[in-house]
Amino acid sequence: MRKLTAILLALAMLLSLACAAMAEEPITVTVFRGDPGDQPTDDNKLYKMIEEEFGIKFEIEFLAGDLDETLGTKISGEDYPDLFDGGNSAEKIINAGALIDLMPYISEEKTPNLYNHVKDLLPQLVNENGELFIIPNYGINYNAQIQNACNGPAFFLQKQVLEWAGYPQIKTLNEYFDVIEKFLAANPTDKNGTPYTGFAILCEDWRHFCLINPVQHLMGRPNDGEVIVNVNSGNWETETFIDKPYAKPYYKKLNEEYKKGLINKDTFVMNYDQYIAALSSGTVLGMFDQTWDFGTATQALETAGMYENTFIALPLVYDPEYVDGKVISEQYLNGAVPNKDRGFGISINCEDPERMINLFENLLSDKWQKLLQWGVEGEDYYVENGRMLMTTEQYNNRSDASWQMRNTAKAIWESAPKKQGTQDDGNAWAHSDQPENYFNLMSDYDKAFLSAYGYQKPADFFNAPCTLAPYGEAWQIDKTPIQLDYNDFLAIQDKWLPIIIMSADDAEFDANWAAFVEEITPTAQIYTEFMQAEVLKLVEQATK
Amino acid sequence: MIGASPQKAPIQARKKKGFFKTLWEQKQLMLMSVPMLLYVFLFNYFPMWGWIAAFEKYNPKLGPFKSKWVGFDNFKWLFNRADFLESIRNTLAMSLINLVFGTLAAILLAILLNEVRTRAFKRTVQTVTYLPHFLSMVIVVGMAQNIFASTGTVNNLLLKTGLIDTPIFWLGEKKLFWGLVGVINIWKEVGWNSIIYISTMTSIDPTLYEAASIDGAGRFRRILHVTLPGIKSTFVVLLIMNIGHLMEAGFEIQYLMGNSQVLEYSQTIDVFVLKYGISSNEYGIATAAGMFKSIVAIILLFSANFIAKKLDEDTLI
Repeated sequence: MRKLTAILLALAMLLSLACAAMAEEPITVTVFRGDPGDQPTDDNKLYKMIEEEFGIKFEIEFLAGDLDETLGTKISGEDYPDLFDGGNSAEKIINAGALIDLMPYISEEKTPNLYNHVKDLLPQLVNENGELFIIPNYGINYNAQIQNACNGPAFFLQKQVLEWAGYPQIKTLNEYFDVIEKFLAANPTDKNGTPYTGFAILCEDWRHFCLINPVQHLMGRPNDGEVIVNVNSGNWETETFIDKPYAKPYYKKLNEEYKKGLINKDTFVMNYDQYIAALSSGTVLGMFDQTWDFGTATQALETAGMYENTFIALPLVYDPEYVDGKVISEQYLNGAVPNKDRGFGISINCEDPERMINLFENLLSDKWQKLLQWGVEGEDYYVENGRMLMTTEQYNNRSDASWQMRNTAKAIWESAPKKQGTQDDGNAWAHSDQPENYFNLMSDYDKAFLSAYGYQKPADFFNAPCTLAPYGEAWQIDKTPIQLDYNDFLAIQDKWLPIIIMSADDAEFDANWAAFVEEITPTAQIYTEFMQAEVLKLVEQATK
Repeated sequence: MIGASPQKAPIQARKKKGFFKTLWEQKQLMLMSVPMLLYVFLFNYFPMWGWIAAFEKYNPKLGPFKSKWVGFDNFKWLFNRADFLESIRNTLAMSLINLVFGTLAAILLAILLNEVRTRAFKRTVQTVTYLPHFLSMVIVVGMAQNIFASTGTVNNLLLKTGLIDTPIFWLGEKKLFWGLVGVINIWKEVGWNSIIYISTMTSIDPTLYEAASIDGAGRFRRILHVTLPGIKSTFVVLLIMNIGHLMEAGFEIQYLMGNSQVLEYSQTIDVFVLKYGISSNEYGIATAAGMFKSIVAIILLFSANFIAKKLDEDTLI
């Protein structure tokens, strides 16, 4: 009898082994993320579920140091991971031939989710040869787009400044600096005696958009990088703005504020870490930036309970006096922009691209999208009357970095194709977009702040998003064909704009400005011509 | 090989035995040197074939054999660029500052320590001065950025003592950059660099000092006529080696402390190569710049060696 049991057991074991072999073999996939991040823990909830269902384990490398240098090193050694996210410089890895074309793998029959995800946008997403290397990580909306807050560029101001001033509406450049000046005069230092800085300008490396981008927004345009495109004439005239007369008043204003002591010299030599440290300490009153660029500072302030030191995004425009009496209407928010060429590509070193595509196809299913964006029902959120809701604890967990490392697949989710906007049943795809969660679970300070303005959400400070131009947003255009001239174009701005802002008097300011315009004109011309051609090409592709 | 002149004769005598016979006799030594030779060949000589990229519009997708051949265009482009010429100037200037002041400071510290009689004090000072050598440059620059900020310690001190009335913009004033780098490098390396001089000084025959004292030499005379000649050969050997490294003004400190305001004075050839080669994918231009740097370094090394030979000093090659 015992013998029989043993034989049966052995058979059963053999059978189960055979079954396991029939399912897909477990593999480890190497991943590179073009941003810094935290390694998930070994017992991470979601990665465990992915491993159980697909037999795929991830070995994730996060960016440490400079992105361009890291990518350059990988390119020169052809040291590519299976899933390759080139971050903000993905053009480099595409041009170096590091990624495979995904078009042959995407079809209505085999990968319906991915196919439906990109089909309407394909003309914009593919290159001239009809190749698609990266499926956008963000910006593809289902049903209605939800915009609770400004996630992109804006002028930022500490909420306590507006609270102190009695919640005024701040809409123009002059009003903005005026309220900062008055606040500073009344409160030169914070509670601990540390002096406040009126306005900070981050100038380091690629984050110098804080220095060189504001003028287009003051002129009433969304973010097109370093150019303004005339979207109304039908000819899509494209021009650089930094060398134009209408850019001068902004830097003149900064120069005046510098002379008044609102801007500290150190701002021009500080690096990103020092900038974040300054914002996190709550002593910087205002800056021009993009919301995602200082998320760690916001988190630090909220964790410390310093809600009055967190920032509110304001859509400033030029006062009429700066633009021949014209009244400019702000347009900071743009229609959803598919984040072209940002996210995961599959590298030529990947042994089984088909399996990677299938993984993305499955992760794009409603079931997995809910798991990735909301978590597990009953643990991370609950459903009441068909609405997906969260308790305060569940909501706070979501912004807790160590909780994320244990419970979310953030590192993969962020760069993978994802559903945004609204689900078919009316719930938001992103837990943070769900209106109930957004308002009910925000801090009491923020509730009171918004209520004082009669607003429901921070985005109410802004005009509604405009329709996205057919070329997308011009900053997305790949500049590698004119890389060296483009470098010079940026380097001249990096060098001169701080000098201009630090001018001692009006005569020096004018002289510096004239010298700057003279030096930048040749490269600005090359850049304008290139961008003009690219914009026209994109418009043509999109309207084909 | 470091060899003093009297040894030259026996070496010549041995040569007559024939190359292969000598080789055989020294087979153990030869065998031992194989790993080093392999190492040097593999990591120093073999990669030199990559210099071919300096003459190409190098495209990583096409590789070195299919990229477009452009002859000397990359070099022509480089020497028409103001920022490349500036980076040569910056490299040489910061190197010279490091070499001259770094060596002087090291020798000075060594002499001072050599004259100290209390062993405990000498040890303590030596340890304290060489500890910064082990700090990573990232940390050193981080500290420097705090100390030299407009509200930093240095400015506060100068303001309080009334030496200045507005803070000095240490980190953003391009004329100050070389000096700042010099000061930081000396602070970081002076203890480390002085070790070799201290050890040379301890090997000076004490009877020389005694003889000098008997002849009536005071402390300064003894330093001048015994200590300094005693470290002369070490000094020359180190000088030759350092001249070979003159094109390497360091990379980390300029990379970390440089910013758009001081770029004209902070960018060294290494930073330039990184910026164009790795960050902008202009591998051809970057290789050309790196190649230029290596060739100048070789010329400098041989000239220094030649001059030292003429002066009948110890030579390195």
